[in-house]
Amino acid sequence: MDEGGLAGALGVAGTARVAGVVLVGGRSSRMGSPKGDLEWHGSTLLRRTTAVVGRAVDGPVLVVRAAGQSLPSLAPGVEVHDDPREGRGPLQGIAVGLAAAADHADMAFVCSTDMPFLHVAFVRAVLHALAPDVDVALPVARGYPQPLAAAYRTALAPLAEALVAADRLRPAFLFEQCRVIRLDDATLRTDPLLAALDPDLDSVVNLNEPADYEAARAVAAPEITVQCFGVLAAQGERGPRSVRAATLAEAAAAVSLALDQHVLAALNGDQVTRDGHLPLVAGDTVAFISADAGG
Amino acid sequence: MPGGYFGRALVVDLDDGSAATLALPDEVLRRYLGGSGLGTWLMHRLAPPGVDALAPEAPLAFVFSPLVGTPLTTSAKFAVVAKSPLTGLLNDALASSHFAIAGKLTGHDAIVVRGRCERPSALLVDGDGARLVDAAPEWGLTAAEAEASLGDRLGRGWRVASIGPAGERQVHFATVSHDGRHAGRGGLGAVLGAKLLKAVAVKAATRVASADPAAVLAAAKDLRARSFGPATAKYRELGTLANLLAFNAINTLPTRNFTGATFAEAPALAAEDLAEARSVARNSCASCTIGCEHIYAAKGGRTMRVEYENVFALGPMCGVSDPDDVLLASSRCDDLGLDTISTGGTIAWAMECAERGLIDAPWLRFGDGAALLRAIGEIGSGEGLGPLLALGSRRAAQQVGGGSERFAPHVKGLELPGYEPRTLQTMALGLAVNARGADHNRSGAYEADLSGEVDRLEGGAAHVHAAVETEDRAAIMDSMILCKFLRGVFTEPFEEWARLLSSVTGWDVDGAELRATARRIVLAKRMFNLREGWLPADDWLPARLLEETLQIGSGRVAELTPARLRGMIEGYYTARGLDGSGRPTAAALAGLALDM
Repeated sequence: MDEGGLAGALGVAGTARVAGVVLVGGRSSRMGSPKGDLEWHGSTLLRRTTAVVGRAVDGPVLVVRAAGQSLPSLAPGVEVHDDPREGRGPLQGIAVGLAAAADHADMAFVCSTDMPFLHVAFVRAVLHALAPDVDVALPVARGYPQPLAAAYRTALAPLAEALVAADRLRPAFLFEQCRVIRLDDATLRTDPLLAALDPDLDSVVNLNEPADYEAARAVAAPEITVQCFGVLAAQGERGPRSVRAATLAEAAAAVSLALDQHVLAALNGDQVTRDGHLPLVAGDTVAFISADAGG
Repeated sequence: MPGGYFGRALVVDLDDGSAATLALPDEVLRRYLGGSGLGTWLMHRLAPPGVDALAPEAPLAFVFSPLVGTPLTTSAKFAVVAKSPLTGLLNDALASSHFAIAGKLTGHDAIVVRGRCERPSALLVDGDGARLVDAAPEWGLTAAEAEASLGDRLGRGWRVASIGPAGERQVHFATVSHDGRHAGRGGLGAVLGAKLLKAVAVKAATRVASADPAAVLAAAKDLRARSFGPATAKYRELGTLANLLAFNAINTLPTRNFTGATFAEAPALAAEDLAEARSVARNSCASCTIGCEHIYAAKGGRTMRVEYENVFALGPMCGVSDPDDVLLASSRCDDLGLDTISTGGTIAWAMECAERGLIDAPWLRFGDGAALLRAIGEIGSGEGLGPLLALGSRRAAQQVGGGSERFAPHVKGLELPGYEPRTLQTMALGLAVNARGADHNRSGAYEADLSGEVDRLEGGAAHVHAAVETEDRAAIMDSMILCKFLRGVFTEPFEEWARLLSSVTGWDVDGAELRATARRIVLAKRMFNLREGWLPADDWLPARLLEETLQIGSGRVAELTPARLRGMIEGYYTARGLDGSGRPTAAALAGLALDM
């Protein structure tokens, strides 16, 4: 996985790994088309959500879909798992995701695919709340519990599977049987980075109807900082500058660059990439460098 | 005889000035090409096993290549190859200049010196053979001054490679220079100094033919056109110093002896701004169309060529941010004939020692430009800390002790270049296993880290493959020889290089053969090192890099554990046909026809 990982989430290097689970198997009946396929700034919602989660964890990112469901393209390394039965609701997806992640990680951030404003800082803040004596860190943000924007111990997988098998399909049944810390708005905002970068907790906004999608698409892309180096800087303005961009490709276009074989980007001083689909969130810094960096 | 070659090396005995011709059979040339590769073969053949690098018996070779003398851009390069006083292992240092052309057109594919002059001398080689002349007037001069002095004495047409005062004093990281270009790494200037050989002067006396001149000319035109494209724009427009700010932004700029990977004052040394305020000219090497040389002016009007590595080593590595101090320090290194990377690395180590109280030098502190200049002066004069620092960081740390070995910034004795191994973990492997030691020219593994195709913070199997590939490419480019700044213009490098080589030599060589040649050269270097006492522990990195983590800007922690490095090294050994202790297997030796 990439930048931020456990260091940001837990403040400790070398501790247990963290997975990300993105549920995409819902029927999307009100939306009228699969939510994961929805276009998002030249990419898709699913691509964005998986990549945002991936930026916050150091373990695998898994997508749980309905059996046989077609998916838009995913970043390399993202694993896909199937719900065993259709129409069993989110707890089944949680159970599948936690079980699949359990071999690689002690905890997982679980979310749905329809969260276009999910911020890396939100994921980290929720994971950070998953203390050793807690099984679930459950945001209660903007007035509602957010079981699909929460952190879970992967060891809960058998319990979740048993509840599904017993037709107790609501996440609340799981919470009744484990240790849950509830994170209200104020608690979440005690994380200074989250308070600064997502003060309204837009991270938990989800899309259910076409009007929600249209409204979300009308929102300006996040504000990020871009700096060009070397000959790339010589072609334009030097020094850091603010632009609005939801993806790396948009950031490049904002400074009149294309991510071709001669241009690379580093996100927040970390991974070097030319993946134009890479989602950006408010507060990100992108460095554009020549592909021939080096002596 | 294949085109592009004379099929012979001139071997000069400095004890009496006599010279002999060593035949270079076709199969040797085809297996080792020239430059680094042929130099390695010559060292196997001519260096007495276990010889001290500074002993009279130790040979040193100026090695040319089949492309020298052709119109192919960047081909006017030569390799200086010998056992390094810094590492005690094989060293090959390359430089670009008219010396390569004149040297080859003396009628030899290599000029080898061994023995020791009776007095400070210069070796002259031309169509009349080899002879020694007194160099007392040049002894003590800078390399540039000596070059000018001998040029005046000898007349037109002579090209002079010289050492500076550091070479005369046998500073272990002294350079060999010509026309402001330096065969910089590994201290081969000290090898010449130990032989009392101030300079080698060469004068063209013949021509060399290519097998297919029309094809060579066509290839030269094509390569020239490509050399003006975006793949070389960085070198042309800002030079390698463009790396500095970019590396700072991505946490790969070693700072204060590798205690950090970013330098807050980096903008003061950035090419982007210095180019506007200080740049006075842009030059090209001989036979080069890229034009990477950027000449800057320091306070007082002195001008000098500036590269990323000298600014890194004398700037961030030492915590120095005043551009005048850094430019002046670089200029003094050029005057003395010092490798800037080893100079900066050794002084940075000494600064840390002084701050920790391990050496008695309260004046020597990180960030103090005056202290940097004083330390360079003492290395050159042999006063104060000079004798200690002249040994390089490894041997100096062995003398000082006190745990300073763990932060001495070297591999195999060669100081690390400006690439942070913890955030460039393919490069970490390349630095650890390379025959020359910590070096970015024999292993360009950072290319993989900066490609976006591997996680540069988590080294693994993919990184091993990339490190092998870049090392192989370097082996061919350094042997043919082509400048690495051209590497970005080749889309299928081995195949394209094979076509170039075919047009010059007439060989029906293809990409697959060149890949085997690369492996052979890499392995031949390792075999020489094995002969000279290489130990498995030499393929490793300084303890600091494996014990201390880096908190990088994203919040992620960059950590290179010993287990991860060991795993990559084991993968590299397997890929190279080496056993678990880094020694070639019989199968590997047989398959590559090493003929050592």
